[in-house]
Amino acid sequence: MKKVMRKVGAMLLAASMTVSLAACGSSKDESGSAKDSDGQITLTIWHQSVADTDPVKKIIEDSVEEYHELHPNITIEQDGVTGEQYKTKIKTAFAAGEAPDISYMFSGGSFVKPYIDASYLLPIDDYVSEDTLNSVLPGMLDGCTFDDKLYTLPTVTFLANLYCNTEMFEDAGAKIPTTWEELLDAIDKLNAAGYTPMILGEKDRWPGMYMYDIISARTAGNAGLEEAFGDPSKFNSKPFIEAAEKLQELVNAGAFNKNMMSMSYDEMVEGFAAGQAAMLYQANWVHPSIQAEDSPTNGKVSCIAFPVIKDGAGSITEFSGGSSDGYYINANCEHPKEAVEYLEYLSKKIGQVGYQQGAGLPCWDTTGVDTSGLTPLDTESAGLMETGTSYISWWDNILSSEDSETYKDLLAQLIGLQITPEQFCESMSKLSPSDFY
Amino acid sequence: MQKILSNKKAIALFLFPTMFLMAVFVVVPICMSAYYSLLDWDGIGKGTFIGFQNYIDLIADERFLNSVKNSLLYAACSLLIQLPVSLILAIIVANVRRGEKIYRTTFFIPVIISSVVIGQLWQKIFNGDYGLLNAFLSLLGIPGQDWLGQESTALAAAFIPNLWQYIGYHMLIMYAGIKSISPDINEAARIDGANKVQIAWKITIPLLKPILQVCVTFSLIGALKIFDLIYVLTGGGPFFSTEVPTIYMYKTIFDSFRYGYGSAIAIFVIIECMILTFVLRLFFRDKEKY
Repeated sequence: MKKVMRKVGAMLLAASMTVSLAACGSSKDESGSAKDSDGQITLTIWHQSVADTDPVKKIIEDSVEEYHELHPNITIEQDGVTGEQYKTKIKTAFAAGEAPDISYMFSGGSFVKPYIDASYLLPIDDYVSEDTLNSVLPGMLDGCTFDDKLYTLPTVTFLANLYCNTEMFEDAGAKIPTTWEELLDAIDKLNAAGYTPMILGEKDRWPGMYMYDIISARTAGNAGLEEAFGDPSKFNSKPFIEAAEKLQELVNAGAFNKNMMSMSYDEMVEGFAAGQAAMLYQANWVHPSIQAEDSPTNGKVSCIAFPVIKDGAGSITEFSGGSSDGYYINANCEHPKEAVEYLEYLSKKIGQVGYQQGAGLPCWDTTGVDTSGLTPLDTESAGLMETGTSYISWWDNILSSEDSETYKDLLAQLIGLQITPEQFCESMSKLSPSDFY
Repeated sequence: MQKILSNKKAIALFLFPTMFLMAVFVVVPICMSAYYSLLDWDGIGKGTFIGFQNYIDLIADERFLNSVKNSLLYAACSLLIQLPVSLILAIIVANVRRGEKIYRTTFFIPVIISSVVIGQLWQKIFNGDYGLLNAFLSLLGIPGQDWLGQESTALAAAFIPNLWQYIGYHMLIMYAGIKSISPDINEAARIDGANKVQIAWKITIPLLKPILQVCVTFSLIGALKIFDLIYVLTGGGPFFSTEVPTIYMYKTIFDSFRYGYGSAIAIFVIIECMILTFVLRLFFRDKEKY
């Protein structure tokens, strides 16, 4: 009897272990949309606005409650993960068929294109209302359209500017630069006065990319860049070699902080906000850090368009940036109509409220929107955008993921003086063509 | 109990949960990676089958070869620096008269701290602006360096925290081994007139051999798989100088969207680890014959 009991006991133990395993395996599929008996609809949205300095975080969180009040039968579930992890998470989720109804996608074409090609995302032409389309600013739907089908709506847009710490410029007796010569002159004077002229966080590689993006826009002009994206062999030509030389000229002039290769993007922005350097070339999403109440540079920073280069094809009204991040609907979403309605609501809200709070520049009609909350820096940046005649998105949004990595790696080597401008352009000419400019 | 354990069905039943978990979380993913490594695939849409092309490209990829070189260099450092230091520490800690527990705990602390935290700590030490190391050097009148930002020092700077972190781990294993050696043997040696160094060299270390074998294996495999600390410290930069295969794999898959090529690197790391473990076992078995 005892033996039998023991055997039974062992069996029971093993059985219970197997059952508990099985229980882990069959967890409920919570990511898909669900509609229960009384017509309740749940929509899920994933985004990457998790930083407290990001005004979009609060807009999304508020929208969840507000939207439920407006539409009591619809419940929104939001979930955010920070940038790089988000890329990994969303990719895995789509591959596993567990993607949310609505997902954030980085601006420009190259990030979202593979998802569209794989038919993971839903064209929204059939659902979106005419009213909504009419209140989007002209041209802003271009970046949302792929193969003549509309996939998303714009929110806010970003523009890269040169941020100058006016206090340091005055102290060093330097002039806020409008031409390349003035820039070099300012760098010398700032160096002589003991300031780091320009701060760069090249550990993450993309801050350096912004430098070459704009310098080559000044030498080749945005039209020249567009040509080169369509036919990369054009990268191996005079304006691009010249741009690479100019970038190395900055390095040799001691423009950048000595520890740029080990400095991350966050350290760079916080460093500028803490007054470690006189200039920063970044997009206007750095405003919250600079304008933080405890920031020593608050109110001392002015933003300008990047200086022009003599004999270059580019003009001061050409900008880097101008594209908009967007939220996309899952092709397997069970309630596309409701999802698109929420998308219209959210995109417009981020566009208008986000603009009010300095998250970015508007893609939507903002007549009647109260802009009294905008700081002088926000207004300055918005003013620059109004002067713009042509915009080119960040290159890593234009080039394919693989080429973007190659480009950023090459650029780090260029800035580190590891390769010559000719070698750089030679390698760039081997990239694949892209039509997402 | 004896009866249950000799019953094949019972054995199968007991092994089933673990075998099941191993299959689902280890064997199946490895097989899937092996399949992916034969594809040209961006990880999102449909892949195309290209046979062994990824592996052929790997062999010719200078960046990959450089990353392998770095990881082998690190493995060598682990074996030649980390383990001897651990062994010396273990012998000393096992022989101190007072505060044995305090030393043991102190050396073990880095092991239980998350790698990301350690990465942040060492970043502050190596920082070119306000780093502890530069501050110390400036006291001696030596100019500071951007340790993690220049090619000449980045690799060494990225290795040191890795080596440092696991010294306590190996020390603890060896320490346990030393403590399990019968004190009678030590006493006999002492009566015969052996001094402490002789005891350590002629008695403790030879008796510790099975433990050392475990440590060497762990250390070597761990070295080939390092990822987290280097990722936090340098992310493989500057200019790939601190890149190891695992970092290159991560970047290929998640930044460049080359799932197939990245999978080929993953399979390479697995095979590399298996071969080296096998070689180590052969090496130790040969020694045991004498």
